Amino acid sequence: MKNKDYSYLYSNWEDTVRRRKVFLSNPVFVKGLALAPLVVAATTVHNGILLCIAVFFLLTPTRIVTNLITRRMSMPLKTFFYPFISAIVFSFVYYYMYKLLGATVLVLGVYLPIMVVDPLIVKNFEKTRKESLLYSIINGLRNTAGFIVACIIISAVREFLGYGTLLGVKLIGFAPLPMAHNTFGGFLIIALLSALWAQLIKNYKYKVEVEAMHDERYNRDAD
Amino acid sequence: MNDIIEMLISYFGLALVAAGTQNAVFTRALGISSGLRMLHDSKKSTSYFCAALTVFQLMTVVIVYFAMPLVDIAGFGAYRRFVLPAIVVAACTVSYIVVIVLLSIILGNRFKDVVRSVTSASINSAIVGTVILTVYQGMNLAESVVFALGSSIGYFLAIILISEGERKIAHDRVPEAFRGLPITLIYISILALGIYGLIGHMVAF
Amino acid sequence: MTNLRRRNHDKYMMIALLPLIFCGTVLYGPRVLLLNAVALVTARIVDVMVSMVRKQDFDGHDNSSILSAIIFCLMLPVSVPVYVVAVTVVITILVGKHLFGGKDVYPFNLAALAMCCAAVNWPDAVFSAVKPFTKVDFFSGRTAFATASNASLLKDGAVPAYDTFQLLLGNYPASMGADFVILITVLGLYLMFKKRITWHVPVTFLATCGVIAFVFPRIYGFSHFDSFLLEMLNGQVFFIALFMLSEPTTTPHTPKAKIIFGILCGVMGMLFRYYGSFEIGTCFALLIVNTMDGYIERMVSRKDRVKVEKDESVPQPETAEPPQPQEAAASTRRAGTMKLISEAEDNLDDVIYSTRTIDINEILKLEEQQKQQRKAGKKNEK
Repeated sequence: MKNKDYSYLYSNWEDTVRRRKVFLSNPVFVKGLALAPLVVAATTVHNGILLCIAVFFLLTPTRIVTNLITRRMSMPLKTFFYPFISAIVFSFVYYYMYKLLGATVLVLGVYLPIMVVDPLIVKNFEKTRKESLLYSIINGLRNTAGFIVACIIISAVREFLGYGTLLGVKLIGFAPLPMAHNTFGGFLIIALLSALWAQLIKNYKYKVEVEAMHDERYNRDAD
Repeated sequence: MNDIIEMLISYFGLALVAAGTQNAVFTRALGISSGLRMLHDSKKSTSYFCAALTVFQLMTVVIVYFAMPLVDIAGFGAYRRFVLPAIVVAACTVSYIVVIVLLSIILGNRFKDVVRSVTSASINSAIVGTVILTVYQGMNLAESVVFALGSSIGYFLAIILISEGERKIAHDRVPEAFRGLPITLIYISILALGIYGLIGHMVAF
Repeated sequence: MTNLRRRNHDKYMMIALLPLIFCGTVLYGPRVLLLNAVALVTARIVDVMVSMVRKQDFDGHDNSSILSAIIFCLMLPVSVPVYVVAVTVVITILVGKHLFGGKDVYPFNLAALAMCCAAVNWPDAVFSAVKPFTKVDFFSGRTAFATASNASLLKDGAVPAYDTFQLLLGNYPASMGADFVILITVLGLYLMFKKRITWHVPVTFLATCGVIAFVFPRIYGFSHFDSFLLEMLNGQVFFIALFMLSEPTTTPHTPKAKIIFGILCGVMGMLFRYYGSFEIGTCFALLIVNTMDGYIERMVSRKDRVKVEKDESVPQPETAEPPQPQEAAASTRRAGTMKLISEAEDNLDDVIYSTRTIDINEILKLEEQQKQQRKAGKKNEK
């Protein structure tokens, strides 16, 4: 059963890459989206969780609303509508986050509002494929999951290196690398993590290839 | 007379701050995704992109400055912070339409050379972030315009530095996992470290 | 195989560093040797480890990381903890050198990068200074005689009180080996005389710094000459000029470009020292100027090329586009505008950052060929 999976993955590799947004086409580590908030604002896990909440309530609803409203629109109009709808959705999300979580939301400053025009959320680059409602929900959730994984990893690494803590709990007495909470530290750590990610993807692809070839030979021998 | 000179000097200082120590790319990390994508797309031109970005930024700042009092009049004064992104996006869109119409009239047949670059500069986080900053920091009209101008000049310089770096880092000795996005980010991070020598602390955001 | 020029440069630079290490040991005790050994061994280990991980042959002649590590180490005070040196060297050699492709191709000056990295992470450890001939604990580096360095006094607007002769000798609270101005000058003159380094970058850099310090005194009430002396003798300007700015990998190759590079370094360095927030502003400025060396080189060579074209006076053929009827153009324009805008969009799923690469060995070979051609041309002129 498992071998069959590998040969299927191998023959539909591009489609697999498109579908597995958490690992194979992670929006942050592979495509480099939403870098601004992650580089500057995601210095602690607390900030990272705030970003994740905002993206969770922003990304999928924006996709659904846009899908419903702009279905019959021509392309240039759609491009303008997407960020505008995401801004409207964002104003509700921001308001309720502010009401529920209080002033901690303001810690993120401009880096929460600029999410509304980030290519992660605004799919203003859509040209070829018109997606169905179900597809937009699924795709939105996949993207959200990919962002959340990346964001939590980045903010945890940066908090540990920059302050020696994790979720505010002191792990070691000193900060191993204080520059991790700065802008350039953010760039550096995201770069190193995305290189690690690329290596993992390469290894996985190699494994899939080997398994698929093995599988093919096995089938041929059986015949 | 002295007052005017002093005022000019302070505005010049503000522009320098916006272009240098609060550089959009190296200290605030704004507009990196779109900038990098522009650099990796051979059909877009850096100068058109940055010129368009400057124009959009200036127009958006002015429109938003005059639109914010209208929000108070409409009775949304308590929710300024929450509706601000929507207003900025709307202002961006308006300035984009105006620019595109003007360009298509002026340039005629050469319009198709610039439209790709201009469109990708239209709505991105460099513009929105800078405009929202000017509103959060309560700048007046002249200050906002100067800040926006300085910020877009800083963005232009940053893009030039990064594209200069692309020449040095696109070779086959770079480890395979680092080619493409990661090595560009590392290059940017070292430049950001250099700029950090001027400020010495994280900027308020 | 490291190219020969670079290998010789490294060798002579290492020899030139030995007197500085010796003087440092005399003034500050054996801990200087310990720190330098840590820097050296760490740099070598990182090199070997990387060549093992990347499955490449280890090039024993490539000493650039060791050289940079020791230059960095000599700029620190003797009281600096060992882990600061080790961690910084690991980060610098790994990120600054090997991730960019290793020897001969790294774009940033490694010693400057290391200094910036340490200054940002552990400013208290890096910017103190220890009084000479006092007791420093060999392993922990603890000492009762640590003070603020002269450069940081200048930074805070205070005037350090030492007479000029002591400043020239380096006999005052300072770093391990970067403040012996007379010794460094002698070494630099010797290296220039022996043609191991060229004069262009260091001399133009120092001249620019001197002029700026003389014309614009940093502190109110300074006489111009006092300002000149204090700015030049503090802040390790001579050390940076000799050991960082003479590196062949990260500086331009042609003389004109070198002069422009030196002036740019001086201006940016003084700007960063005056208005920046760290004492070693020159290192931060060097990181930024390093990015421009290719541009400077192209600018200079473009000028040369224009001259050649003018001499040959080749008439450019004029290409005029056939005039189009205006009405037709207007109609196609109107119909096409919307289409053009929608075509201007990318499909995000298809955007992958380009990973196209160039074979660097060919570029290096080409550079070598160009150099030889240039030399041959000069000989012919003579």
